[in-house]
Amino acid sequence: MKPLRDTVLLFKREFIHSLRNPTWLVVGLMTPLLYLALYTPLLQKLAGGPGFPTTHVLNVFLPGMIGYMAFMNGVSEGYPTLFNLKDGQIERFRVTPANRVALLISPILADVAWMFVFIVILIAVAVPFGFNANIPGLLVTLILLGLLVMVTGAFSVAIALINKEISSFAAIVNGISLPVLLLSGVLLPLSMAPSWMRVVAHFNPLYYVVEANRLLAAGDIWNSTVGLAFLVTVGLAVGTFWWATRVFRKAVA
Amino acid sequence: MSIISAKMLTKVYAGKIRAVDNLDLEIEAGQIFGFLGPNGAGKTTTLRMLATLLPIESGEATVAGIDVRRQPAKVRQHVGYVGQLGGADSLATGREDLILQGRLYGMNTFEVKKRTEELIDVLDLREFANRKGSTYSGGQRRRLEVALGIMHRPEVLFLDEPTTGLDPQNRANLWVQIRKLRDIGTTIFLTTHYLEEADALSDSLAIMDHGKIVAQGTSRELKQQIAGDSVLFSFKNDGEIIEKAIRIFKQQPYVREATIEGEQVRLYVKDGAVALPELLRLLDKENIAVKTMALSEPTLDDVFLRKTGRSLRDTGPNGKGNGESR
Repeated sequence: MKPLRDTVLLFKREFIHSLRNPTWLVVGLMTPLLYLALYTPLLQKLAGGPGFPTTHVLNVFLPGMIGYMAFMNGVSEGYPTLFNLKDGQIERFRVTPANRVALLISPILADVAWMFVFIVILIAVAVPFGFNANIPGLLVTLILLGLLVMVTGAFSVAIALINKEISSFAAIVNGISLPVLLLSGVLLPLSMAPSWMRVVAHFNPLYYVVEANRLLAAGDIWNSTVGLAFLVTVGLAVGTFWWATRVFRKAVA
Repeated sequence: MSIISAKMLTKVYAGKIRAVDNLDLEIEAGQIFGFLGPNGAGKTTTLRMLATLLPIESGEATVAGIDVRRQPAKVRQHVGYVGQLGGADSLATGREDLILQGRLYGMNTFEVKKRTEELIDVLDLREFANRKGSTYSGGQRRRLEVALGIMHRPEVLFLDEPTTGLDPQNRANLWVQIRKLRDIGTTIFLTTHYLEEADALSDSLAIMDHGKIVAQGTSRELKQQIAGDSVLFSFKNDGEIIEKAIRIFKQQPYVREATIEGEQVRLYVKDGAVALPELLRLLDKENIAVKTMALSEPTLDDVFLRKTGRSLRDTGPNGKGNGESR
């Protein structure tokens, strides 16, 4: 009861904070829109070719793009953590009886909520340009991506709490993000990749999510690849949260 | 019974730095307890352990009768804490921030609203309570942070360097608020490296250095240990003259101590008003020309000096910076 109540209280606060920081909202939405406007035209000629079996490239590109959004959203979670560490807010809340897991999970949940808003806007923009939206599939995608944000968010917060300095935090997070993104097929499907790359990709959790996203966008909900993506993401979520909670309890601001 | 009690409290960083070293502490309820010491003395570490922010690895502590090590969650219901960093939310209004704080302490909506308005009055926040925290001045922000710390009417309030960075007017203002809190029964545990603050504000105090308490008692008791006045001399020619003067001073029965402080000589004498003319006569006889001299009643700095051999004013982050506190 108390964990839930604290989560709701802190979630509201975090969600409203983002509204008061409109720059963040605009930038968060502009990135995927720019990809949509300035990257998809490059793919037009690939339609029907390898990796793009469907009629419209957006049906392959957009599911990857929202995977990218979710990943980056979660990974950036450590920045506000660092600011709150510096201005004493984390310390302040740690002295209250507020539930520890609630303190950790609330900002990440607010991020999930905002990501849902962004994705809905993005899809609304993409449909007139030919994106074929499969509603049940997209709903399952949202759940999967919510879990992905939890994984990357908890991971990012833990790295921030351990490093405490923005420079080392940014270096670690960027250093990890780039190979993970390149080896996941967010921009172009890895079915176009040489076999060694596809082998390596199987060790990358994001790869499973992106593959599942493309199937779900086509309405293929009961595919085993989708199940595997959920299995991998839920497993990682449990692991990263267990770790991040430990880090948070010990964190010395 | 003591409201805060610590036995053999120890914190070792990196396996060897003894930030807090076998600390024993008993604090009576309902007073302002000042924890004075230079930066790095271990004041903040002690306070953070008592406030449940740092795990206690060695030794024991109870706050409000609760074992801090075994029941930190229970301790949190009884203590308030205002850290050096503050913790006010820049993106929320003061009122919103107070309401959230109350809700996190489990107060219901009605209770929270009532308490928020009460605190807005007590800490004089009304003028800016509906503005975002980012627009506050240093003093306004600090007042909001104190309000956040006492939202749940804690028995003990920990304040870590509460007036650092405030201008003299805001500092005086905060002192008034802190005394008010004491007068309604809150025990205040505050750390400071300002001598004047510890002297003026604390009902009793402890002086800390290198993780140990070097003196403890009321300000008056501590100064009485010095028993006498302090005289500071500087001479027109230093070097050998200083050595010579010290030799002369030490021969006088009423001089309890004579030490060199840089270019100056500090004496502790039984009665400054009697000793000073006598000392000047002696120096004159030996042809030692005095450049400056100062007579003062003992201060907490003298206490610190006696116990550690250093002046508190020389141990701050920027040396002289702490001198402003006198």
